[in-house]
Amino acid sequence: MTDVDVIVVGGGPAGSCAAITAARAGLDVVLIERGPFPGSKNMYGGVVYPRILDGLIPNWWEEAPVQRWVTRRSTMLLTPTQALTVDFRSQAWGAPPYNGATAYRPDWDHWLAGHAEAAGAQLITSTVVTGLLRAPSGAVTGVRTDRPDGDLTAKVVIACDGVNSFLAKEAGLYEHTDAKHFTLGVKETLALPKEVIDERFAVRDNHGVDIEILGGTGGVNGGGFLYTNLETLAIGVVLKLTKLGAQKARPEEIIAGLKRHPAIAPLVQDGELKEYSAHVIPEAGLTMMPKMIADGLLVAGDAAALCLAAGIWLEGVNFAMASGMYAGEAAAEAVRAGDLTAVGLAGYQRRLSDTFVLKDHRRLKRAPELVLSDRVQHLYPQMIANVAERMFRVDNPDPKPGLRRILAQERKRAGVRRRDLARDGWIGFRSFG
Amino acid sequence: MSSPIIIACLKWVAHPGEPHDERFAGASPADRAALELALQQAKELGGTVTAVTVGPPATETVLRDAVAAGADRAVRVDGPAAMLSSDVAAGIAGVAEGAAWVWCGDYSLDRGTGSVPAFLAAALGAQQALGVIDVQFAAPGPAARVTRRLDGGRREVLDVTGPAVVSVEGAVADLRRAGLGALRVATSASIDVVPLRSPARRLKAVVQPYRPRAMALAAPDGSPLERLRLLTDAAAATAARGETVTLAPPDAAARIVAALRGWGYLDS
Amino acid sequence: MSDTARGGMLEPHAWGGLSFQERMATAEFRIHHTPHIVVDGRVCADCSTRECVVACPAALFVPTAEGGIVFNHEQCFECGTCYLVCNREGAITWSYPEGGHGVVFRRT
Ligand SMILES: Cc1cc2nc3c(=O)[nH]c(=O)nc-3n(C[C@H](O)[C@H](O)[C@H](O)COP(=O)(O)OP(=O)(O)OC[C@H]3O[C@@H](n4cnc5c(N)ncnc54)[C@H](O)[C@@H]3O)c2cc1C
Ligand code: SF4
Ligand code: SF4
Repeated sequence: MTDVDVIVVGGGPAGSCAAITAARAGLDVVLIERGPFPGSKNMYGGVVYPRILDGLIPNWWEEAPVQRWVTRRSTMLLTPTQALTVDFRSQAWGAPPYNGATAYRPDWDHWLAGHAEAAGAQLITSTVVTGLLRAPSGAVTGVRTDRPDGDLTAKVVIACDGVNSFLAKEAGLYEHTDAKHFTLGVKETLALPKEVIDERFAVRDNHGVDIEILGGTGGVNGGGFLYTNLETLAIGVVLKLTKLGAQKARPEEIIAGLKRHPAIAPLVQDGELKEYSAHVIPEAGLTMMPKMIADGLLVAGDAAALCLAAGIWLEGVNFAMASGMYAGEAAAEAVRAGDLTAVGLAGYQRRLSDTFVLKDHRRLKRAPELVLSDRVQHLYPQMIANVAERMFRVDNPDPKPGLRRILAQERKRAGVRRRDLARDGWIGFRSFG
Repeated sequence: MSSPIIIACLKWVAHPGEPHDERFAGASPADRAALELALQQAKELGGTVTAVTVGPPATETVLRDAVAAGADRAVRVDGPAAMLSSDVAAGIAGVAEGAAWVWCGDYSLDRGTGSVPAFLAAALGAQQALGVIDVQFAAPGPAARVTRRLDGGRREVLDVTGPAVVSVEGAVADLRRAGLGALRVATSASIDVVPLRSPARRLKAVVQPYRPRAMALAAPDGSPLERLRLLTDAAAATAARGETVTLAPPDAAARIVAALRGWGYLDS
Repeated sequence: MSDTARGGMLEPHAWGGLSFQERMATAEFRIHHTPHIVVDGRVCADCSTRECVVACPAALFVPTAEGGIVFNHEQCFECGTCYLVCNREGAITWSYPEGGHGVVFRRT
C-alpha cells in the first residue's frame, strides 16, 4: 500500500494541471510546492495562452487572474539606431475565448493550484522534494522531502519541478545538461499609471500589448520583450548563458541598454522599478528533451524542456499546462489498469505526440538554434533594417533604387554570404512557414 | 492532577508590504517563538499545548500551522479582524483559564502594541514577564528563569512560576519544522470555535504610521568610517550649538521646531 | 551596445539613480541561515573564466583582491544560472533553500 496514488512535485502550471486531471479521475493526489504558496518562486515574461484550459476549466476567462487581454502583438527588430516593427492588432482577441493574456505568475499559479485543491488534491507548500524513493528494480515509489518524517510513497510520481528538474536528472532521464541549451531571463516590473500605459501603447480598457524584440541585447545573443500589465510594464531580456561570460555584460546592464534604446525609452520612461527578477529557460526544445517516462515516473513542463522558445514565440505556460494535464490523465489510466511501469504510463507519450505539445516542437525543431545563431542575432537585423531605411529614404535628386539592388548591396555590406542566407531562409521557412 | 495545559497565543497578521494579500499573511516570528517554547515546555511537563487565536475564520491558518508543529488542540475565539487589545485578552482568557502557562509573542509584525499579554495576565490573575529574550526551563514544575530586556542595554533575570503569562521576542526560539505526516493531517484537523464572552467593542479608526515592510538589505556602500562621518558629523553637528533656555512648554516646543527647521531637519 | 562598458565591467552599479542594492531590495527574500548554495573558493582560485561573476543576475559572486570568490546566498533568485555556466567540478554545490524560504515573487 502506498500513502497516496499520485504525488505531483511542483505547483507551477504543469503541476497544478497534472493534479487537476489526476484528482478528477478519482485518485488520491498530493501536490508539493517548495514556495510558501504556488507561484511564489515563478517568473516569466508575462503572456499566457490559456486556450488549453477550455476543457479543464470552462469559461476560465471569467475567473482567471488576468492583467490585460493581448489585442496587439508586435515584433520589433532593433539595431543600435534603428527599429523595424511589424504590428498586428485584432479586436477578436479582446473577447471570449480570447487569445493571450498578461498575468502575474504568483497570481496565475496560485489560482490554478486552487483548482487542483477544489478537484480534491492536497496541496502541501513550503516543502522541497529532495529526492526520489526507488524500489530495488529502480522503479520510482515516492519522494523524500526536507521535512521531518518526510518520505511519502505513491503509485506514480509526476515531476513538474521546472527547468532545473533535479528529479528528472536523478532518474537519469537527461543524458547530460549543457549550458548552451539554456537562456537566462531577467525582467523588471515597472509601475506606471494605467492611463499612461493606455496612451503610450494605444490601447483601451483591459486590452494590452505584447512586443517581442530581436536585437537590443548588446553583444549577447538573445532577445527582449515588453508587455503591458494593468498598471505595470514587464520589460526584460532573454540571454544565451554561454555568451554572457564571454561578453562580460551583466544582465541588468543589458536591460538598461534596452530601456535606453530610442524606440523603447519613450515607452518605459519614468516607470518605477517594482520588482527585479530572474529565471532560467530551457531553450533548445527537441534537442535537449529528456525521456519523459520511467517506471512510476512522468516528467512534464519545463522539467521535460517542453518550453517553446523560438524567437517570435516564447510559450511555456501553455505547454506546461497541457503536458501536465496529459501526465495526470496518463497516471490515472495506469493506476486504473494496475500497470505502473513505463509501458503502463505510455499514454502520456501518445498524448504529447498527438497534440500541439510535440507537434509544435517537431515543426520548430531547428528554430531555437537558428534564432540564437550569430547571423540571425548580429548580421540579419542590421541588413534588414538598412534595407528598410533605404526603401523609405528619399535620396533626391537620385532616383529610387530597386529593391533587388538594395538587397544585394546590403547583403554584401553586412557581410552575409548568399549561401548562408539561402540556407537560413530555408530552415526558417521550414520552421515558421 | 490532570496534565498541565500550556497555551500559545497566535495572531494572524498581514504582511506589512502586502497588507491586502492573504497569501503573505501568517503568524509573526515572535508568536512562532512563543509556540515553540510552549511545545518545549509541554514536553518537559508532560502537558498539552492549546493554540489560541482571536479573529475571523480566515485566521485559522495560523492554528493549522500550530497543529502541524505539534499543538494538541486549536481554538479560535470568533471575533472581528481588528479588536482592542483588552478585548482580545478577554477572549483568550476565556480559553486560558486554569492553564499552567501562557506564551505570547511580544510584538506582532503589524505594528502591534504588545499590550495583549499584560491585559491577559491581569484577566487571569497570573504572573507576567514581558519582552523576554531568553528562557531556561527550571524543572520540576511549571517554572522558568527568564531574561528581560530593559532600557539602556540592561537585563533583568526573573524566576517565574506558573500560572504565568510570558511574552517573548522572535529571536528566542525557532519554531520547529512540521513533519510531513503531521502537516497533511493538520490541513483537515478540527478547530474548536468559541464565541467571545462579551461582545467586542467597535474599534474606531486606528491611525497607523506607514512603515515599509522589513527586509534584509545588503551592506551600504562606502567604508564604515565614511558612513560614520556622514551619520554623525558635518552639517548637523556643527550647526547644532547647544543652548539652554527656560521657556513655557508651548514656547519651548516652538523653539525646538524652529531650531530643527533651521538645521534643515524639517525640510521635505 | 552598452555604452557604459567600463574596464572589467564586473561590479554592478547604479542605473537611473537606482543602486544595485536598491534593485535587489525590490524582491523579497525570506532568508534561511543555512546557505543553499556553497562555493568552494579553492576550486575557484585558478578559474580564469569567472562566468558566474558576470552571469549571476543577483551579482552574488564577488571576486576578491586575492583572486578568490566570495559568495553570499541571501539574495538568490534560485535560478540555476551559476551552476550551469560554471564548468569546474566541485566549485558550486547547488540546492534549493529549505521549503518556504528564499525568494518570494509578487508581480512577476
Ligand atoms: C524570462 C522568461 C520569460 C518567459 N516568458 C514566457 C511567456 O511570456 N509566456 C509563456 O507561456 N511562457 C514563458 N516562459 C516559460 C514559462 O515560464 C515556463 O515554460 C513555465 O513556467 C513552465 O511551467 P512548469 O510548471 O513546467 O514549471 P515552473 O513554472 O518552473 O514550476 C515549477 C514549480 O515547481 C516547484 N519546485 C521545483 N522544484 C521543486 C522541488 N524539488 N520540490 C517542490 N517544489 C519544487 C517550483 O517552486 C515551481 O513552483 C518564460 C520563461 C522565462 C524564464
Ligand atoms: S564558481 Fe565556477 S565559474 Fe565561478 S569562479 Fe568558481 S570555478 Fe569559476
Ligand atoms: S542561482 Fe541564480 S541568483 Fe542564485 S547565485 Fe546562482 S546565478 Fe545567482
